[in-house]
This record gives sequence, structure tokens and C-alpha cells, in this order.
Amino acid sequence: MAADDFQRLALEHLDALYNFAIYLTRNPPEADDLVQETYLRAFRFAHRFQAGTHLRAWLFQILRNTFLTFYRLREREGAIADDGVPDWDVPMFHDAPEASASAMEAHTDLERALSRLPVEFRTVLLLAEVEGMPLEEVARVMSCPVGTVKSRIFRAKERLRGLLADYDKG
Amino acid sequence: MSERFSDDSDEVLGRRLASELPRYTAPARLRAAIAETAVPQPARPVWVTAALSACATALALVLAFLPLLPRLLPTDPAERLVRSVVAEHERALMWGARRTAIIPAALPWLTQESGIGLTRVFVGDDRLTFVGAEPVYLDGRRGIALYYRDADGHLVTYAVLPAPGLPLPERRRVQIDRFRPALLHDSGFSTWVWRQGDLACFLVADMVSEADLERFRDYFVRVRTATEPVPVY
Repeated sequence: MAADDFQRLALEHLDALYNFAIYLTRNPPEADDLVQETYLRAFRFAHRFQAGTHLRAWLFQILRNTFLTFYRLREREGAIADDGVPDWDVPMFHDAPEASASAMEAHTDLERALSRLPVEFRTVLLLAEVEGMPLEEVARVMSCPVGTVKSRIFRAKERLRGLLADYDKG
Repeated sequence: MSERFSDDSDEVLGRRLASELPRYTAPARLRAAIAETAVPQPARPVWVTAALSACATALALVLAFLPLLPRLLPTDPAERLVRSVVAEHERALMWGARRTAIIPAALPWLTQESGIGLTRVFVGDDRLTFVGAEPVYLDGRRGIALYYRDADGHLVTYAVLPAPGLPLPERRRVQIDRFRPALLHDSGFSTWVWRQGDLACFLVADMVSEADLERFRDYFVRVRTATEPVPVY
């Protein structure tokens, strides 16, 4: 695949990658950096990409690996407030599509609940449910068997339901 | 509404994640920045690579052979002779005298080989020990060299070369007792230079510090007063 073609095809996934990065990092400037680093790596190692395979999965895989390498450690260092909700939580909704007051509230709880999931659970839900990836593709991104993906999705939803129920009671 | 969340089936929850979570689009500046990095850098012209390679090779060769290149000779005749004598001193430091001779038994042979006779010669004392003597050929001149070693291990070379009318740099001359030799420095060595008739005399040692120079001054007096070289041929 020619470099120009590769770059053009890779850039088609920019919005999806950015969205994924936002939910992983929960911080727009870090999401910017993460996506930019992802593309730098993708362009640098474009020769390793096997034409005919899923470019989207490959890019998401790079992004996830980069995140795990650089950002997860920082997250552990206490970027999250005591209640598990990051400080920038409110501004994050500025770019959200317009919705009714009720929907906005639901979005808030859903997002907050999602953000409190462990990264592996959050990742699997974002890829499978938000991005609509087939399980095989999710398995490739997460470098694990399909069975593990299924199990994580099940447990992630269970945990998400529990968190949403807590918000309801509160 | 609260019950609605907690009662969602897996399928419903999945749909809600897909439809209710806001999607974030990449800012235009991020897109522009990434697109910019994607633009391939213009390839460097072939001639630039070749020129850089040639320059690097030339530089490496110059650096490799730099120690072998001849140094620029000083224009001053005294300094040029000093450089030759210092080179001889360095050789003696590294390899010793080629053929040591014992004074005074070897004096006739030395005179024959060098064309310089020693009517009086300093054979050492409590400070300087005589090491040896040999004829030398420096700067196209036959001469004689005597080697001493002081108590601290400094090798001191006394050399005599024919040099009629050799001008001594006036500003380097130093008054020591009744003598006025010039003190020159070359390659980290100090050298006293003086004239005795048509002969140029040199005393070289690696003594450069102030304290060392004070002692070197004393060595000069000892050698100068006790040695009398004369041209024989």
C-alpha cells in the first residue's frame, strides 16, 4: 500500500480514535496527545501493517497500547478526584450533542458510571458497544481470546448496572 | 427513570451505550497537526548525501593523520633549533641515549664525531647526575648532547650545535649571575639557550612551574660555568 493511501485511510478513523481516547483518558489534552502519538507510531510503522487486514483494529490496538504505556501510570498517580470523577468531567459535555434535560442527566450518569469502570472493562464496552466492532476485532485490539472478550463484556455490563443503580439510589 | 437504568438487559445497556454516550470529534487543530506529520519530508537530493559522506570521510582522514603531519616550523632560527633539541630530548626521554659514553674517556671520540670539543665539562654533582653523552645530528648540524638526571628524576639535556651568529630573542633573555641566556618553551619543555662563540648551547628539561624554573635556573649556572665547548673543525 502506498504511503499516501495508507495515511488517507488511517485519517478516516481519526474521529473514532479521538472518541475512544477521550473515554480512556477522560482528559481532552491528553486525548489529543494520545491520538497524535498513535498516528505518529502508525505512520512510522506503516510498513508493518499487513494490507488486507483491519486497519481500524490495528490503529485502535496502537492507541490502546500507547495508552497503557504512557497514561495508565499517570492515572494511578491520582488524576481522579475522590469520587472517581475527574475534575474536567463537566467541560467534557460541552461538545456533546444537544439533548433534552433528561437525556443530559442520563448521559452524565452513564458517563460517570463508565468512567468508574476498570480500564479493561471500559475498553471492551467502548470497542464492542460504542464502536460496534465485531468480537474478533475487539479481541485483536485487546490481544486476548474472543472468549475473554465475551466474559469481560458480561462482567463490565454487570458492574455498570450496579454503578447506575447506585446513582439512582443517590 | 432510576429503575430504568438498573433493570437494563445486556442488550438494552449495549444499545444505550451506543446511542446515549456523546461522541467526540477530533478538533480541527489535531487533524491538521496529524495531517502535517503525515506529509512525507522531501527526499534529500542525492548529491547532498554524497557531499556529506565525502566531507565526513575527509574529516576522518584528517583526524587520523593529524598527528603524523609535520608541524609548522618556527621562523625564528633560535626557536627552530630549540624545537630540534627538544625533539632530541624527547627521544632520549623515551628511548634513552643511543650510545652512552663515559666522560672523559669518550671525549676524543665525541669530538671526532661531532666536531665539537669540550675543554671543560660538567660531569655531575650532588644535584645532577651524569647519564651519558653522544653525538647528535640536528637541523642539518653535527653536535653533541650530554644527559643528566636530577634528584627528582627530571632528565636534563645539554646540547651544543654550531650556529655562528645565532640571534637570541631579546625579550626572552634572562639575567642569571653574569650570564644572559634566553628562556624558550616548546612542547611543554623549557630550554635555556645561549651562545658560546660560534656555538649555540641548549639546556632542556620538563621544568615549567615557577619552583621548577628556579631549580632549572640553578642547573643552568652549574652546567654553564663548568662546561666549555669549542668548535674543532
